[in-house]
Amino acid sequence: MCVIVFALGMMQACEREIDIELPNAEDLLVVEGSIETGEFPKVLITRNRGFFNEFPTDLNTFLTEFVVTDAVVTVSDGTISEVLQFTIDPLNYPFVYYTGSTIKGEVGKSYSLTIVSGNKILTSRTQISNAVPLDSTWFGLDPFNNQEDSLGVSYAEMMDPDTLGNAYRLFAKKNSEITYFPVSGAHFNDDFTNGQKVVFFNGQGTRPFFASDTFVPQEFFYKLGDTILLKFCSIGRNEELFFNTLDAATGSNGNPFSSPVLVKSNIEGGLGIWCGYSPTYDTIIATN
Amino acid sequence: MSTSIPYSHPILKSNNTIMRLFWLGITFFFATSIALNAQSNFTLSGYVKDASTGEYLPGANVFIKEILKGTSTNSYGFYSITVPKGNYTLGVSFMGYSEYSSAVNLNKDQRINITISPKAIETKEFEVSEKRIENNVKSTDMGRVELSVENMKRLPAFFGEVDLIKIVQLIPGVKNAGEGNTGLYIRGGGPDQNLVLLDEAVVYNAAHLLGFFSVFNSDAVKTVDLHKGGMPAQFGGRLASVLDIGMKEGNNQKYKVDGGIGLIASRLTVQGPIKKDTASFIISARRTYIDVVTKPFIKSTSPTKGSGYYFYDLNTKINYRLSDKDRLFISGYFGRDVFTFKSTKSNFDIRIPWGNATLSARWNHLFSNKLFLNTSAIFSDYQFESNIAQTAFNFKIGSGIRDYNAKMDFTWYPTIRHNVKFGANYIYHRFSPNNASGEIAGQELDFGPKVYLYAHEAALYLGDDFDITEKLRIHGGLRASWFAQVGPYTQYIKNELNQKTDSITYSQGDLVKQYPNVEPRLMLRYTLNKNSSIKASFTQNYQYIHITSLANQSLPTDLWFPSTGRVKPQFGTQYSLGYYHNFKENTWETSVEAYYKTMQNQIEFKDGTLPSSSINDNLDSYLTFGKGEAYGAEFFLKKALGKTSGWIGYTLSWTTRTFPELNNGKKFFARYDRRHDFSFVLTHEFSKKWTIGAVFVYASGNLLWLPTSIYFMEGQSVVNYGERNNYRMPAYHRLDLSATYTPNKERKLHSSWNFSIYNVYSRLNPYFIYIETSGSPLTGDLKNTAKKVSLFPIIPTVTYNFNF
Repeated sequence: MCVIVFALGMMQACEREIDIELPNAEDLLVVEGSIETGEFPKVLITRNRGFFNEFPTDLNTFLTEFVVTDAVVTVSDGTISEVLQFTIDPLNYPFVYYTGSTIKGEVGKSYSLTIVSGNKILTSRTQISNAVPLDSTWFGLDPFNNQEDSLGVSYAEMMDPDTLGNAYRLFAKKNSEITYFPVSGAHFNDDFTNGQKVVFFNGQGTRPFFASDTFVPQEFFYKLGDTILLKFCSIGRNEELFFNTLDAATGSNGNPFSSPVLVKSNIEGGLGIWCGYSPTYDTIIATN
Repeated sequence: MSTSIPYSHPILKSNNTIMRLFWLGITFFFATSIALNAQSNFTLSGYVKDASTGEYLPGANVFIKEILKGTSTNSYGFYSITVPKGNYTLGVSFMGYSEYSSAVNLNKDQRINITISPKAIETKEFEVSEKRIENNVKSTDMGRVELSVENMKRLPAFFGEVDLIKIVQLIPGVKNAGEGNTGLYIRGGGPDQNLVLLDEAVVYNAAHLLGFFSVFNSDAVKTVDLHKGGMPAQFGGRLASVLDIGMKEGNNQKYKVDGGIGLIASRLTVQGPIKKDTASFIISARRTYIDVVTKPFIKSTSPTKGSGYYFYDLNTKINYRLSDKDRLFISGYFGRDVFTFKSTKSNFDIRIPWGNATLSARWNHLFSNKLFLNTSAIFSDYQFESNIAQTAFNFKIGSGIRDYNAKMDFTWYPTIRHNVKFGANYIYHRFSPNNASGEIAGQELDFGPKVYLYAHEAALYLGDDFDITEKLRIHGGLRASWFAQVGPYTQYIKNELNQKTDSITYSQGDLVKQYPNVEPRLMLRYTLNKNSSIKASFTQNYQYIHITSLANQSLPTDLWFPSTGRVKPQFGTQYSLGYYHNFKENTWETSVEAYYKTMQNQIEFKDGTLPSSSINDNLDSYLTFGKGEAYGAEFFLKKALGKTSGWIGYTLSWTTRTFPELNNGKKFFARYDRRHDFSFVLTHEFSKKWTIGAVFVYASGNLLWLPTSIYFMEGQSVVNYGERNNYRMPAYHRLDLSATYTPNKERKLHSSWNFSIYNVYSRLNPYFIYIETSGSPLTGDLKNTAKKVSLFPIIPTVTYNFNF
């Protein structure tokens, strides 16, 4: 809304910080759960926090104040159920999560999640759909020509299957990084592209807790010489709706001209997502 | 008589017995009126017009002094009074005009056209119509206010632009949405529930510059008439109100030029006779010039060279008196806002034009001295477009609504006890909700074909203002309305994930869905004594077209959308009760009105809907439906006459909404729920040269829906919202002052200076509140801060107005 930009230009002089007394927030549990083909499920459970409250200043406080460590987390594939165990994994994100040792993700299967913590019961269900591979991937210089010559993005081309309801999410890492990070905004469904060829380009994945007030090209673009590793996953349409509304909510945060965007969670009784991923992998060397 | 109203019987069958009795009642009144007519009565009829401009005067009081009974002229200045044979004194009174009276020996039907002269400025009363005979105590009107545009120019003007919508917002029961917003929120209704008419053409978006100004150029406007309570039967299609604005006809006596030079805009109006006493014209234009003024100061190397904003509008009207019985009016409005933004650095180019166009052709015909007909053909159009271009990327999205409208409105004066209005109306609507097109890196984006929705809307109405006894007068009315969505239309069948699985295709003209309805209107006035009366009203209205908005504010992007199979018409019922008392020969008027309203089939977007959701889809599948309730009381004290005039208004009100799919089904206060609303308006004439004006407003803050908590998802912070509209912004209050200096009236060039101070004590009223998030949890400085943005501190302005 660029009309608004103009209006904002007129009014900058009259901006003041104010104290707002909000109604008390309901205590809610937030689920960040995934199950991927060939992998054990991973479930991180955190708490929400009052909007104007202080935030933890270090990892320790984050772990003790935000993370729920005493929940009973059960995953079932319809025939077997498994109670997940709380684990610490400092090399990956999330650093802490509940995981299992029996059930591994399989294409075509559906997985239910049940979380019991205190008097709260949360439930959800997701599935792992067929993987759809990328047909080709390549590196290209910044399509907007705004940045330095050596910076660019990853391109990918794929063919959407001829059935409605496909949805995808892209993760990426570069060079020697251990974890694939979700690429901001890189999820889509086939509402407009069912059965068609789709070309898309993206920058780097978003590091957790990375929040920069200013746009730093080096943190967004790849540069010549980078090894780019893409993990392209098929996900459920509902799960994609979650990420879609999540992006919109982040984008509209504080914008007074847009209505609040409510994130469409697939967790009954809480917030967050329980998502099945069906990945395929590609590697690109960034060359001219 | 009942056969003259087609549609009545089939529809009555579907309604209850009360309706049938009501209808029988109306038939009875006609029967009595015919019987009365059989006596040796004669009719006085004619037009009332302004002696200096030749313009016809609507709303003037025409009465027989001996019996203190009369009527007021209709929208075209016509009156008709039927009384028994005799000698009478015919009087005319109208605010701001010298009184007229003349002896009439009535022994046959007579046509008397009356010209009245404006009073000298120093004795002019304040703006709300003062009516000697048909005053607020006597009429059946509830919640009706007429304003005179000429006197608005003496009030403080925001940035020097006199804005009639801003004056309307000072009337009790009418709310604005805060600073710089011309949206009207009347008695708990939404901004789409007002029928805004300019020379009978619907104006779909009355705002310029995001609502800082309205589209009505005060130099071209003659009358402003607001119905916020009982809506008479001739109006329909909206739940809350009618704002009926009439353009000047053009001076048919002499050429005249009016102009104004203000800080951000200038105006020029030219009017005059094409043929004296027979035909005249008026052309009025206005344009803002921030862009023009700042252009020389923007360097050619500036990265945003070429950016700017302006709006303009043009009003034109011609009228022609074909004969004593026939008159023709053709009027048009065209206005556009254009916003452009260019950034050479990032190759970014945005152009967003939007605006209204209307064209009305009207023909008045007098069948007899008792029966007046106006036939209108009207075109209205509102379009919004947004073009965004960047290297390798092009995107265009547009929306709008276009109407073709035909109307016939009869006014019939069978006896002095009756004033009957009946007529028919037909509108063909074309809606274009979000139509997008674009390309990226040369590859066309597929948003599907352009989607238009088509609908017919029609109505038949009959209303009678009838004196049952000396003390009891009623306005009884019925409006039969019908709405039909027709093809071409593709209705998608959706699965539980809201994905299209199948579709039904309707060809051109095929009926998709229709809604026939009957809307009763009843208003009663009972006179307690010469100075006081009580009134009650019961009205039901249907509204077939709706604004769907994702935004918190009224924006040019708001989409109008028809009733469809999924979207049912909005249905409103309003009960109101009022007490009216005038003091000191109508110098002081007071009133208290209480109202209770219910609104069915209110519309909101479902939670989680994104602005892009409806592209290439049925927008209505993203909507959810609920009901609304509003109640309150309005207190009004007005001094209409004398050197000091003005009013004080206070409203206490509540308005809530309940949607099964929103807010967990719990009732919530509407965004524009406002507990207290107070306004004070004053003008005082110190001398022939100096007049001062003051406006003070106080209003409870608007409601906002703010997040209550925050959580982390994949290492990013995400906000979570609590109950809807959980925070009330700080109260809004403001004082404006003005002084108008009018030197040397004797000269040919009349001029005046208006000095205004907006927001005298520089109250920083909240325009909006937003949340700023800074820092990161890793660095330990993540913090949310609420910021209040205020638009306008104290703003002094000078406007120079002239005419010759």
